[in-house]
Amino acid sequence: MLAAGLAAGTCGIGSLTRFTHAGRAHVAAEVAESARPLPGRLPPATLRRLSHPDRFALRAAAEACAAAGLDADAGGDVGVYVGTTTGGMRETEEAYRRRSAGEDARFRLSRLLGTPLATAAAAVSQALGLYGPRETVSTACSSSALAVAMAADAVRRGVVPVALAIGTDALCRLTYAGFDALQALDVEPCRPFDRDRQGLSLGEGAAALVLESAAHARARGACPRAVVLGWAATGDAHHPTAPHPAGAGAAAALTGALAAAGVPPDAVAYVNAHGTGTKQNDAVEVEVLRRVFGRRLVRMPVSATKSQLGHCLGAAGAVEAVVTVIALGEGLLPPTVNLRHLDPAWDDLDLVPEPGRRAALDVAVTSSYGFGGHNVSLVLGRASR
Amino acid sequence: MDRDLLRGEVKALLVSGLRLDVPPPDIADDAPIFGDGLGLDSIDALELVVLVEERFRVSIPDEEVGKRAFASVNALVDFIVRELGE
Repeated sequence: MLAAGLAAGTCGIGSLTRFTHAGRAHVAAEVAESARPLPGRLPPATLRRLSHPDRFALRAAAEACAAAGLDADAGGDVGVYVGTTTGGMRETEEAYRRRSAGEDARFRLSRLLGTPLATAAAAVSQALGLYGPRETVSTACSSSALAVAMAADAVRRGVVPVALAIGTDALCRLTYAGFDALQALDVEPCRPFDRDRQGLSLGEGAAALVLESAAHARARGACPRAVVLGWAATGDAHHPTAPHPAGAGAAAALTGALAAAGVPPDAVAYVNAHGTGTKQNDAVEVEVLRRVFGRRLVRMPVSATKSQLGHCLGAAGAVEAVVTVIALGEGLLPPTVNLRHLDPAWDDLDLVPEPGRRAALDVAVTSSYGFGGHNVSLVLGRASR
Repeated sequence: MDRDLLRGEVKALLVSGLRLDVPPPDIADDAPIFGDGLGLDSIDALELVVLVEERFRVSIPDEEVGKRAFASVNALVDFIVRELGE
């Protein structure tokens, strides 16, 4: 379904309905509530209280395990690596709202059970019967790109035979009001790389990937979708919200990931950009790409799928890793939608305007840059068949 | 005190307070509140004590009293009537 939406250039950004917001922006990419029962074997009382991001994570994890042909309870020591930024913040906010509005005479502790960031990993592991180590990381908007890297690393180092990487986040007042106060939200659905771009559009959701060694996949007859060739993470040490003006850390993450993958920059056939749609991010990111790829960049498709899916914050890295896997597997260049007036500074570049197109891809890069200068780049390759 | 009215209020409180996905009239009058039927756990028990204390101005000071009060919806109604009658 995601592949079809990406290929069609669907924009999932619409009106914000999750909560009332008094600020400037009122658009978001919201997840439609599913009527399907949540997968797995959680007791009804636990299910009933699961926060939105934990629900998202559970659906994504179950779908990933099913697609990988991984029989949940045979999972044994499957490791679980989660990236998130705000966990059950919306439920926490709702508990405070109810208390201060007098709807609850006392503070309701059961409404805070989703507050710790580790609850997604706990819920997924219990529901699907995964007994391996768990790590939950929070590095702002690169959280789950890092989770994917950590999961791949755990497999590579032999810590676990199979690792599940998950990114999850739900819209909440804290992030919505916070980004709006920073004037980082576009009042229209976001327009990455457009000369009129005014900011990002927040989204929510979860994505999950199953990682294992090629030998392990072969032995159990699984069909790999893509290969993690390399990754790198760096820090800007510059500012709480602004990217480093020269993109030093972002460039170092990208070159580091390519070096770790043993892939020359020339071999990259597609870049799934961080591409938020803020003035600063897109400008710095393109400069980074120019520096790393040089003149080759003019022939290298670069797209920002946040224009379709919104910026899912802690989930964004895993979401875009999945998008990149789909791009590699299906030979699909998903378009940067809402791109109507290309910034003239970039008119030499291929920013994949609508409707996107098809191309055979062997190697692709996806990068995620978090507030505070948390940079992660992943280099993914098409699975050999 | 109208027992039927109170029974309805108790069921409505269970559903809204614990966010149950069941129509209040479908909750059994005489089945144990913490049996298998409603799928409640120990966190729900803590919550229900607070909810009942707040809503009906009664006191459930310990597990002994709680066990009696939550034996069923009817038992809870009896408990509230008795407490408020004193």
